[in-house]
Amino acid sequence: MDAFELLVWVLRLSFLGLLYLFLAYVVRTLWRDLRTSAAVADRALGRLMVIASPGGRPATGAALPLQAVNSLGRDINNTIPLDDAFASAFHARLTFRGRTWYLEDLASTNGTFLNGQPVAMPTPLGYGDEIQVGQVRFRLDRPA
Amino acid sequence: MTSAPLVGLRAAALEIRPRRRDRETLLLLAAAVALLVGWISLSTTEAGRLAVGDPAPLLAYLAALGLCHLAFVVTGRRTDQVLLPVVGLLGGISLLFMNRLPQDLVQQQVGPLELTLGPLQLLWLLLSLAVLTVLAIVVRNDSWLRSYKYSWAVAGVLLLLLVFALGEEVNGARLSLRLGPLAGQPSELLKIILVVFLAGYLAEYRPLLAGMSLRLGVLRLPPLPYLLPMLAMWGVALAVVVVQRDLGAALLFFGVFLALLYLATQRASFVALGVALAVVGAVLLYLLQAHVRTRFQIWVDPFATAQGSGYQVVQALYAFGRGGILGTGLGAGLPAVSGGVPVPAVHTDFVFTGLAEELGTTGALAILGLYLVLAERGLRIAAGAADDFRALLAAGLTLVIVLQAAIISAGNLKLIPLTGVTLPFVSYGGSSLLASGICVGLLLALSDAGVEAPPPPGRPGPAERFRRRLAGGRERLGRAVA
Repeated sequence: MDAFELLVWVLRLSFLGLLYLFLAYVVRTLWRDLRTSAAVADRALGRLMVIASPGGRPATGAALPLQAVNSLGRDINNTIPLDDAFASAFHARLTFRGRTWYLEDLASTNGTFLNGQPVAMPTPLGYGDEIQVGQVRFRLDRPA
Repeated sequence: MTSAPLVGLRAAALEIRPRRRDRETLLLLAAAVALLVGWISLSTTEAGRLAVGDPAPLLAYLAALGLCHLAFVVTGRRTDQVLLPVVGLLGGISLLFMNRLPQDLVQQQVGPLELTLGPLQLLWLLLSLAVLTVLAIVVRNDSWLRSYKYSWAVAGVLLLLLVFALGEEVNGARLSLRLGPLAGQPSELLKIILVVFLAGYLAEYRPLLAGMSLRLGVLRLPPLPYLLPMLAMWGVALAVVVVQRDLGAALLFFGVFLALLYLATQRASFVALGVALAVVGAVLLYLLQAHVRTRFQIWVDPFATAQGSGYQVVQALYAFGRGGILGTGLGAGLPAVSGGVPVPAVHTDFVFTGLAEELGTTGALAILGLYLVLAERGLRIAAGAADDFRALLAAGLTLVIVLQAAIISAGNLKLIPLTGVTLPFVSYGGSSLLASGICVGLLLALSDAGVEAPPPPGRPGPAERFRRRLAGGRERLGRAVA
């Protein structure tokens, strides 16, 4: 094997090697993303994804981990406090009983909405359903 | 007097906050180094000594990638950081390969310039990157897609009819449409329109489709009126095969449709029904259409007609064999045979074969790995989407690219009967590159954490309203009888 053949051989294999190096970087990125999202949702029963939040708190796009009993409202003592002028101090409750989530309106001024319909009594809901409290909109998601 | 627009401009300027995208920078650098080494490898093989050839096309392409990255950084978009480098690497590999092939495979007059394969592909790649970047930055809400789904569907059908009526026949398939100096393959655009329509339709009717059922023995089928879209889709796919002779597009359309239907309803019975319909359609077409029969026979035994209709597939299999594990090296594949390339259409449908010959199984697997990464990222964007429409749209756009790559690479390998579609971002061809650019651009826009929130699910759709009215009527009737 002369020098030129060796050179071509090295170049060829280093191109292939660099392709795999790129793939390895990408896979490392994907793996880190997966681990981060797994850590966020650790031990939660579900998540509330914030779809819209004009007040900025909670931030739009945030994923709030849920416990068995969660309260939403403007008061700071809620498990999920909302910075929203249209929300009551203790506005709604989201509970996990048995195998189902229930949404309950706590006699709020402006009402609680499930998929655009007002909630009159504790109503069962599933993953993917949309909850509106004041101007803040959430989606119930399974724990990631 | 001029103060109001100025204030607006200043507000817009304040709103734009540059944001670093370190992962994208790193990945793009890795891709650039790989491509440069690939270019040197190719030039050295071709020149017979250590050479870099004329690196201007590659440098222009890498500069364009850098500009896209810079545009994302300056506008501070929080979009996905993996998609652009992956797409960039695929496009770069395409650029290397198109510069390696005999340049006279394609010749086109652009203005005063006579352009050949390599420069043309560079031009289309740059255009595709531009479309991708503009869509990813400009698209901040989706109402133009969401609210006009039926208008999009009508546009799609019109486009299809236009091809049926005016399409030009190339290699027995009526695919391309020529409007003055511009020629394009509308089915590339059609697949995006189809995804937009299906995402809108399925997001609206999801509760109905998933909830109700019609019992038929052990099968639980959807209620009859909601089966109609499936039948319509089946009809469109068959029409595409019969009139356009485009097996690949039909397979892609129907596959994406079934996948989205399953994503929306999570009911395997729909998929079973769809597959059954597809099998019935395939048998019918096999019996009635000569070109379908030929394709199938080539797949079963290409060597029976190795010098005739099976020539392409046989040559492709030999090329895979020549490649082996590590490949012959870029530029060292089998040179032109009697003036032509050994595998016909090696720059379009058989680009995967060509790359597998020169980069070997190792390189081919790396390319398939890049598509897998695209799939993972796209489906994650879908999983994190704010509502049904966006989730289905993101999944559909991802599937269009990945399914197409799967169909054509499997066809090249003789795993399934060959159907002519392009390998997204790698095959030569303007329509394909632009359509893939649109897909990834929209995906990037959907992945942005800062886009507008989707509209609230306020007024129920027409079907839901109809169903409620029916239920109300039944109740009233029951009360009256009692």
